[in-house]
Amino acid sequence: MNLNRSLPCTPMESGANKIVSAQPSLCLCNVSLQLDGHAILGEISLHMPQTGITALIGPSGAGKSTLLRCINRLHDGWQGSIELGGQSVRETDVDSLRRQIGLIAQKPAVFPCSIRDNVIFGLPNQQRKSVSDESIRQVLEQAALWREVETRLNDDADTLSVGQQQRLCLARALMLEPSFLLLDEPTSALDPRSRDMIEHSLQSIASQIPLLWVTHDLEQAKRISERVIFICDGRLIEQADASDFFSRPERMESREFLRWNVCDCD
Amino acid sequence: MLLKFSLYACALLVLVSALSVPVFLLHASMPFWQAAGISSIWGREWYPYEHLYGLLPAITGTLWSIFIALLIAIPCGICAAITASELLPRHLAEKARIGMEVLAGIPSIVYGLIGLWVLLPFLQAVFDMLTGHSLLAAGLMLSLMILPTIMLMSMDALQQVTREQREAGQSLGLDWSTQLTRVLMPQAWPGMRSGILLALGRALGETMAVMLVVGSLDRLPQPFYNILQPAQTLTSRIGREIGEAAFGSIHFSALMAAGLMLAMMGLTISLLGKR
Repeated sequence: MNLNRSLPCTPMESGANKIVSAQPSLCLCNVSLQLDGHAILGEISLHMPQTGITALIGPSGAGKSTLLRCINRLHDGWQGSIELGGQSVRETDVDSLRRQIGLIAQKPAVFPCSIRDNVIFGLPNQQRKSVSDESIRQVLEQAALWREVETRLNDDADTLSVGQQQRLCLARALMLEPSFLLLDEPTSALDPRSRDMIEHSLQSIASQIPLLWVTHDLEQAKRISERVIFICDGRLIEQADASDFFSRPERMESREFLRWNVCDCD
Repeated sequence: MLLKFSLYACALLVLVSALSVPVFLLHASMPFWQAAGISSIWGREWYPYEHLYGLLPAITGTLWSIFIALLIAIPCGICAAITASELLPRHLAEKARIGMEVLAGIPSIVYGLIGLWVLLPFLQAVFDMLTGHSLLAAGLMLSLMILPTIMLMSMDALQQVTREQREAGQSLGLDWSTQLTRVLMPQAWPGMRSGILLALGRALGETMAVMLVVGSLDRLPQPFYNILQPAQTLTSRIGREIGEAAFGSIHFSALMAAGLMLAMMGLTISLLGKR
């Protein structure tokens, strides 16, 4: 008997939850993680809708990035249940799961090959040989990078600026046509112009697929997200519509965090 | 100002040292080149008492022994490094590293003695040879000696691939073998190549262990691929005869020419390896 599948995983049973979606794209139920005997995540339950941006906020060390890595199984020692599109991620082949769930990290990691080869890096061998220039153009346009690289697709990717490299990583993830995107502070190391371009691209992508966006920047969370999940010390404190969360947070910890950017949840 | 001057002085010293080696060898071997001519490079006979100084058997022996050593040590070293760095638990990988560091620190004469004691009787029995002294024995001996260098430097190169790069590959759903061939190896290759070149330098310059197992017989393998015959290498020739050659004689100068050939081979292979 699979104990994980028998765990309750509905919006009504997940505690402080105002997000109700008929068919949540991602559903976490009582997800816990211990590393070296320390509890990193404690019984986190949350749901995400089919589209739109959900901001995952919390102080440093709250477990935000770890939570993302549990979802795409870069961390695999968690307890509980994570379902994507109704199917447990544990029951999905890990490589195909990761192709479904794109991850954009804080620091862009381009591979030492051309811009074009970076875009198609994740495709299987056969597809890489047959991929059309039009497909490459489309994803680069989606990532707001096409205009800057259309004449230099064969140049080395490391000749791009950090902001451009981050957009290249986005294009590379989009090439796999993911059904979900995880973003781990993708703009924290970028200048305001690059940040705006990435925000703009991701907002248009969010009309098609759901995005879970880790950010430290509360202004950014307010600007881009429709929903907010606030975690502190590995525990879910509150999840709510962004407008409600920023204007009328329910929990005292949330109010403290919004006011002082610190959280004392012990 | 003083610091910069010292740095420039040190850099100049390194440059002068590097340039002085071939210049010294060229100068010391000049009497030989003048007496025997460039054609001695492909001469087959080496009888110093008859003024015959053919270098071809020793050059061939050197190339064969290095080729055999690299053929074995490169794949084994790299595969062992991948296993230790990517597959073994950290504590076992560290033990493997310590083992390799110990192997790398063993003096070459010890390898030579082990070769005499273990390798030659083994080859003698397996291939029904007269003594076991052969190019194969020299190649196997060298491969064992350079294996730690290749493995350790390959391990370091793999471990220097950043977590970001690894996670970027994993996040694209690349399976382990694809991750290895398309993410890890291309980025670790420059470090691995340095390890191979360093190992090659050791193999080229190795004298004692090779001298004990190669047979030191001045003849070309017959046919050319017969690596079971005793042979000669440039280092074993120099090692054996430098004590007998009178300083300033043509014989002495011919051994310096052998040293020059060795240096040229090392330089050529290094340049080819960097391409």
